[in-house]
Amino acid sequence: MTMFDEETLKKALAQAANEFSVSATAPDRILEQARSADMTEKPRRIEALYHHLGRSKSIVMSLAASVVVVAVAVPLFLSEQPGVTFSAVGAISTHSQKKIAVSGTGFMSGQSPTPDGTQGVVSNTGTPFTTLTGTPTLGLVTTNSSKTSSANASSSSLRVEEVGTIDLTIGGRQFQTTLTQLTAFATADGGFVSSTHATMGTKKKGTFSVASIVLQVPEHKFAILVDQVRHVGHATSVFTSANDVTGQYVDLQARIAALQVSRSQYLKIMTRTNSINGILAVQSQLNSIQSQIEQLQGQLNLLNTETTYGTLSVALTQSGAVHVAPAHPRSGFNKAWHDSITGFVSGFEWLLRIAGPLLFALILLAVLAMLGRLTWRATQRRRS
Amino acid sequence: MSDLVDVAELRAWLEEGYASSVRTAYLILGNRLDAEDAVQESFLRAWKFRDSLSSDSNFKPWLYRVVVNTCNSKLRKEIPHRDHRSREDELAGVAAIDDPMGRVALSNDVMTALKDLPTHLRIVVVLRYYADLSERDIATAIGRQPGTVKSRLSDARARLAAHPALQYDTTGEMDDRQERHS
Repeated sequence: MTMFDEETLKKALAQAANEFSVSATAPDRILEQARSADMTEKPRRIEALYHHLGRSKSIVMSLAASVVVVAVAVPLFLSEQPGVTFSAVGAISTHSQKKIAVSGTGFMSGQSPTPDGTQGVVSNTGTPFTTLTGTPTLGLVTTNSSKTSSANASSSSLRVEEVGTIDLTIGGRQFQTTLTQLTAFATADGGFVSSTHATMGTKKKGTFSVASIVLQVPEHKFAILVDQVRHVGHATSVFTSANDVTGQYVDLQARIAALQVSRSQYLKIMTRTNSINGILAVQSQLNSIQSQIEQLQGQLNLLNTETTYGTLSVALTQSGAVHVAPAHPRSGFNKAWHDSITGFVSGFEWLLRIAGPLLFALILLAVLAMLGRLTWRATQRRRS
Repeated sequence: MSDLVDVAELRAWLEEGYASSVRTAYLILGNRLDAEDAVQESFLRAWKFRDSLSSDSNFKPWLYRVVVNTCNSKLRKEIPHRDHRSREDELAGVAAIDDPMGRVALSNDVMTALKDLPTHLRIVVVLRYYADLSERDIATAIGRQPGTVKSRLSDARARLAAHPALQYDTTGEMDDRQERHS
């Protein structure tokens, strides 16, 4: 049978603890130590370093450390920002590539392809069609812009060639309306419809309507048009590309000017030539130069057109799902769940994105701290 | 002037808590010299960081916290690396020459059982049953939640109750103890 109980334990512990008498002088010793020893809290290492180095050196070192931190942190931060990259010499270039995921929806069988079940083909030019996206799936919005700088090109005479493609899925009932709407966008922005091709699906055959339309608008209105078109339907893929051709443009102009000067020189020579052979030789040269001028002029005109107008190819695909979506918006719970999942994925993506630079910064700080510690120890050892 | 006031405050601390702190440390460490060392170090440390004691917080658990931390530090760093010490100072070796009632024998049994407890359990037992701290104060002293303290105390009680040194017949307990002691 056990003897253990709390009272017994208390008594036994008290008895054991009281077996010896506590030294009466020990508190005095502690008091003495407290008086004699420097009992103020030992200054922190940073403060000690500050006192050791002096004010001016500390300030200089702090500034140097700040510069190092800024020099490391700013490029790291900017590297996270799309559109701006730091080159080795510190120049900022504007090469960017953005990718935005757009969720797509598939075809819904059983939906009426067209409201009236008509079938027809509308075509107004022989311009080659852009690729049509048959089944809308998870798409990418890609923006790709590159600029090649030209030494003799001023910013006011920039020539930028802008092209883009957008894949849209539209509800069957909205298909015809959307085509009209797209044409209206182009004309409202001072542009025109370069080509259109539409095939209307039939309910009977179970086919879907598809269309392709190429819009051209003044270059400065291109971004607005892209934005307008993206919101007409469900954009499953958006691609835009801007290419600075100023250098090429200026080069063509210079070559044409040089050839024109040569041509005028040959014309002068021709007026002074009396022999038939001489005239023929000069004429041959003139023909060659004229041919080159026309060829280059053609290239220049093409560039002119391409840079004056931005070209946007829109591929339309019918989808019942997109039509149904506005009529049945997500319920509160469904929406909350969807938002929650999206938020989770975004948060995870953010963590992954930031993990690399953060790890690098931490390693750098650790190395700096280790160096500082070693220096500090060496200094202390030398002092002692 | 302020130094004098502060030292007077330390004197008050020592008068209030030195003896009980030494005995508590002794029960935790099982050695008187270590206990005195630990308590001296604890008081000096507590004095050094006295600013961290806010005016509304309770002094006793705070001081015990410093003592317990110092004891833990000694148990972790110093004592395991030491050579075999004389057992004369150890509690288990304490034996009264004149102990007709067998009380020392009882305390020896309890202390043997206490020494067999893991340190974290021994600390809560000592703080609860010797220092007489409440569970909340023990929680403050060891830097854990009150629930953890409760759980540790329960565990410690169960272990003590099952310890062989504390298993004997109540009817013949005194004879047993006197017999063992002699």
